[in-house]
Amino acid sequence: MRRLTLNPRSDWQARVEKIGLTYHTLADGKPYWDESAYWEFTSREIDRLEAATAEIQRLALDAGDAILNQDRLAQMGIPSAAVPAIRAAWNSEPPALYGRLDLAYDGTSIKLLEYNADTPTGLVEAAVAQWYWLQDCFPNADQFNSLHEKLIAKWKDLKDYVPSPVHFADGGSEEDRMTVAYLRDTAQQAGLKTKHIAVHQIGWDAKHSHFVDLENNPMNTLFKLYPWEWLLNEPFADHALSTLPPASALQQYGPRKDRRMWGSMLWIEPIWKMLWSNKALLAILWELNPGHELLLPAYLDGPRNLNSYVRKTLLGREGSGVTVVQDGVALEGTLSGESPQGYVYQALAPMATAAGKTAVFGSWLLDGEPAGMGIRESVGPVTNNTSCFVPHLFR
Amino acid sequence: MALSLTACRDEHRDCVDSTGRLLPDSSCQTGSRGAHYWYGGSSGGHIGDSVVGGSSVSRGGFGGIGGEGHAGGGE
Repeated sequence: MRRLTLNPRSDWQARVEKIGLTYHTLADGKPYWDESAYWEFTSREIDRLEAATAEIQRLALDAGDAILNQDRLAQMGIPSAAVPAIRAAWNSEPPALYGRLDLAYDGTSIKLLEYNADTPTGLVEAAVAQWYWLQDCFPNADQFNSLHEKLIAKWKDLKDYVPSPVHFADGGSEEDRMTVAYLRDTAQQAGLKTKHIAVHQIGWDAKHSHFVDLENNPMNTLFKLYPWEWLLNEPFADHALSTLPPASALQQYGPRKDRRMWGSMLWIEPIWKMLWSNKALLAILWELNPGHELLLPAYLDGPRNLNSYVRKTLLGREGSGVTVVQDGVALEGTLSGESPQGYVYQALAPMATAAGKTAVFGSWLLDGEPAGMGIRESVGPVTNNTSCFVPHLFR
Repeated sequence: MALSLTACRDEHRDCVDSTGRLLPDSSCQTGSRGAHYWYGGSSGGHIGDSVVGGSSVSRGGFGGIGGEGHAGGGE
């Protein structure tokens, strides 16, 4: 694998805007979508990344079982009120759409950094923008990217058994709005009826005990680009839980796939994604699979024997709450202060670096299957909301 | 964050029965059969009064952490 440079297309801004990537430039005027460089892989390297993604997904499924069987949810900071619904959803398998593994890959070892399982973004860039870039710049090369096709295929699978219309809700940022608009478009292409609503516009009808849209019509299926841990800390939290299956559902219907256990409103992503989007998962994965070649040592009770590590808050987002410690010294962030959520302490990974930047490889899963990759580059060791997206290809 | 949460909390609400007559707020807190909140209506303020105007729908109970002008929920 190698990072190469090239001249950006002369009208790249107009081209990426046309396909929905309107947030291509950061507040400081620097490009977020950076096509002055790209990463080139061999097909063998892509095969390795794809296989690693599938294997980590298998480990995560086992970890989900272990978390529930060993009652580890309180340790993860998950509210007790949500536990019955999480158990019921895990067992009844309501539709789950997508997720993104963030991987460290230096050309030799692949290591899981974290799993963005509930509200991953960077999708428009990975699924569409870099695909059109490839057609314009390297039409004879290939790309690890079947996101668009797999999204439409998944919606087609769901078409006949999810209640319609599917409401698509976002929290209001431009990136989230465009991500939801893209996902909604793939659902429409699959033949589903859809509606958009902002998360703050969702209504609760107290008389009929259901959520309603702006026309006061009941909402039966909701895709929400808004994390479960936020929903459960807001005034409608109890209403959200009331639409999910109660503890009795598991006893009544048994631990099997059963639509009656989906609750009165279908939430996508399902509430069990709280098990995977929580960074405690990293420590639990290591505990269950010590020494696994795709995992980094990670602990919940402190860095133990690690002298160089990353401390992450369990529910941190976009690089917030991350401290990088090398040889006992904090290089980025601070070790002072305490997070009420708690932390995970994860060994430093060997990362790909080039041109003074550090790359993280976001490996996408659609319906549990590897589906593509997006690469983010940062000047420092932590990926955050100003890290650039750089396209890739393989030959 | 404060704006959305405040909007939800400050909305006037009454506890009513299935015919729209005023009940003690405790009926809604305990989940008495048929009791539910009614938002933005008005009444004489006495138990049994009819509540006029308003709606059974409240909004703004989500989106207070993200919401307009804030970081989104994606990552």
